[in-house]
Amino acid sequence: MHSEKQKHDFEPKIIAFVCTWCTYAGADLAGTSRMQYPANVRVLKFPCTGRIDPVFILKAFQQGADGVLVSGCHPGDCHYIAGNFHARRRFAAFRKLLEFIGVDLNRLQFSWVSAAEGGKWVEVVTDLTERVRAMGPMVEFKDLALEEQWSGSLNTPELQEAYDAI
Amino acid sequence: MQKQITEANFRLLLDSLLFKGQRVVGPRRSGGTVLYEPLASASDLVTDELPRRSVKEAFFPVCEDLLEYRKEGQQVALSDVTAERFPETVLIGVRPCDAAAVPVLDAVFSWDYKDQFFLERRARTTIIGLACTSSDDACFCSAVGLSPGDPKGADLMLTPLVGGGFLVESQSEKGEAFLETWKDRFAEPDGTQPQELATPATQPFDLKRIKAWLDDHFEDAAWDSIATRCVGCGACAFVCPACHCFDIVDEGSEKGGKRRKFWDACGFWKFTHHASGHNPRDLQPKRYRNRIMHKFKYYDDKFGQTLCTGCGRCIRVCPVGIDIAGVLEEIQDK
Amino acid sequence: MQSDTVDTSCHAVITEAVRHEARRILSDGTVTAVIGYAASRRKGSTQPIVITSVDDADKLICSAACVNNLAVYLTKAKKDVPRSGRIGVVVKSCDLKALVGLMGEAQLKREDLYLIGIPCTGVLGSVLQPAALLTTASIASKCCECTDRLPPGCDFVPSVQLPQLPRFEQRYTDEIARLEAMSPAERWEYWKEQFSKCIKCYACRQVCPFCFCEQCLCDRNRPQMVEQTPRPAGNTAWHLVRAMHLAGRCAGCAECERACPMDIPLNLLNRKMARELKELFNSETGFEVRDKGPLNSYQDDDDQSFIR
Repeated sequence: MHSEKQKHDFEPKIIAFVCTWCTYAGADLAGTSRMQYPANVRVLKFPCTGRIDPVFILKAFQQGADGVLVSGCHPGDCHYIAGNFHARRRFAAFRKLLEFIGVDLNRLQFSWVSAAEGGKWVEVVTDLTERVRAMGPMVEFKDLALEEQWSGSLNTPELQEAYDAI
Repeated sequence: MQKQITEANFRLLLDSLLFKGQRVVGPRRSGGTVLYEPLASASDLVTDELPRRSVKEAFFPVCEDLLEYRKEGQQVALSDVTAERFPETVLIGVRPCDAAAVPVLDAVFSWDYKDQFFLERRARTTIIGLACTSSDDACFCSAVGLSPGDPKGADLMLTPLVGGGFLVESQSEKGEAFLETWKDRFAEPDGTQPQELATPATQPFDLKRIKAWLDDHFEDAAWDSIATRCVGCGACAFVCPACHCFDIVDEGSEKGGKRRKFWDACGFWKFTHHASGHNPRDLQPKRYRNRIMHKFKYYDDKFGQTLCTGCGRCIRVCPVGIDIAGVLEEIQDK
Repeated sequence: MQSDTVDTSCHAVITEAVRHEARRILSDGTVTAVIGYAASRRKGSTQPIVITSVDDADKLICSAACVNNLAVYLTKAKKDVPRSGRIGVVVKSCDLKALVGLMGEAQLKREDLYLIGIPCTGVLGSVLQPAALLTTASIASKCCECTDRLPPGCDFVPSVQLPQLPRFEQRYTDEIARLEAMSPAERWEYWKEQFSKCIKCYACRQVCPFCFCEQCLCDRNRPQMVEQTPRPAGNTAWHLVRAMHLAGRCAGCAECERACPMDIPLNLLNRKMARELKELFNSETGFEVRDKGPLNSYQDDDDQSFIR
């Protein structure tokens, strides 16, 4: 928590996928309690973490997110009884896949934040933001989005490379 | 004009082209397979293996941008692809089954709409063909009116000589111009014998007879027995030198994006799926029927040509072993 | 590198037995059709075939080129396969695991199938040249780690003595270990190179018995979750989505990898996910029909060490 705003060179974009009934309410509580935390987080509200498809996380990274947070109700507290249990398994598997592809898992945070845990929300978001700030922008997906098949590529780096190589 | 070139001078020629900044595209080992790709040096060129995909992508890319749009306030800025951005290209080591497909594609890309993306690339490309001295049992170029030494579509045709080097024969003005520009690399032919060319084992097809059957058998139980095994991927269409269907999509957001053109295939279930939900080719045999009809009937009806050069790639690559030469044999026997 | 040939002498006996059984079950009405393998035009090649008459039974063959997973023809993705009454299907163990998975997902009923199991000495990894000899080098990577040469629970299995097989390199295990030992940046480069080869032909999806959705998520544009164009970014998303949709279901037939015209090692992703699910939830695909897979069930004490 900062008492005054610090100037930074890099402002990470953090996307938070949260459940309506617990984490969103917890974030709301942090707000009404006037707790200060970095404004880098963009919150996306879902009915339940069970609704959060791994493809949303992929899309977030593809569209420029530097860090992603997924947060929901504590096990046993899910408004839909078992949504977060399914999410727990799904994300345990998905993060292994992302790790295998070469994504740094420090950019992807999962948490249980209840409706009463405004303080925990602030901690989780702040820690993730600062961690990602220290890691720098996530260039992997951004750079990947610029790649083309050679036949459709309209600048010819191959020519330059070939010229330089001879 | 006929000339000759040694293996060493051939490689030197390629390196000279590259040194001048000329884009040279040829068979290159890439990602575990051989593909037609831009070469970085003459040593990249592979001459003993047929590339997994055809040379059509040098004119008809796997995916290309058509235009870019950006929203700036209330204005929309459009940035168009212009023909100067297509580089001059020399295609080298192009097999007859690939080179022969290019003039076949010319017909459809300059028909009711002159496709500048294809035609401009075509105008800026010189095709140097390479005759085949070996084949496998999937090759059937000789069955569809071609041969392993056919120069159709090439500007210059190279035939391997006994002992190394190539016989070089120009086939067009572009070929003549190339020989003139680089004349100090080439020598006069000295009577060295060309190597024996490949002899694909398939018998020539009676394409007229096959077409006659197709003309009258749009509905036939044969399509079910031939094509039930087809699982509806696009592998055959994508590796084919003659298939040319494409889709256009806008990718981006309301703030900005690109319009892109990329390969499509009639084997996909979505290919003829209407917005209403109706799909005239709802089952796979109908979709496979279209493939055969297009190649051996419709293209002949429209342009007097066969949309197949017998390269055999579809046969090698089909996940369920559909053999188009076998299908043609079956139809011919009916 | 030295490569040993695999003894495939049992294929002749198996072929005869399968033909005989097909003739029997077609003529006495046990089944209305048999899905198996038949020879194709190229030397040594096979192709899937659906036979409905007794005379066609002699077309059935068994060889090292019988690579296809015929289970895909029994899914709702292939509505054009005639399906009235009981259907006979020729299965290797890997194919059978896929069928078992489909039964668990209520896509098939055991009583609608007549399973003709094939004692297997392995299949070729690629049929680009189908007449190739089956050796430790040309055998499919999935066969190198297979422990189920005799498919269990079938209605008919030819009785043959399976020969001793040579030692195989555990290719998937070794490759996964090699990748896991890399840094994240190196892994990203590896997969970037692989996914850049993809041309979105969807051969991987179309041969997969578990990709039977009538409209694939990646074919939708409202909303569009994965780009359609074959650019490296969209290709990466496509393969990751597919790997997740198969996680816990994939039976390891590796047809996706074999079908890929660009030789992308797709089954590495599926094997990695299978290993993780075994470690995380003690769950793996096998020959027992199960109601729920690991990703549509849960335990109260599932691992949540990664959740703050």
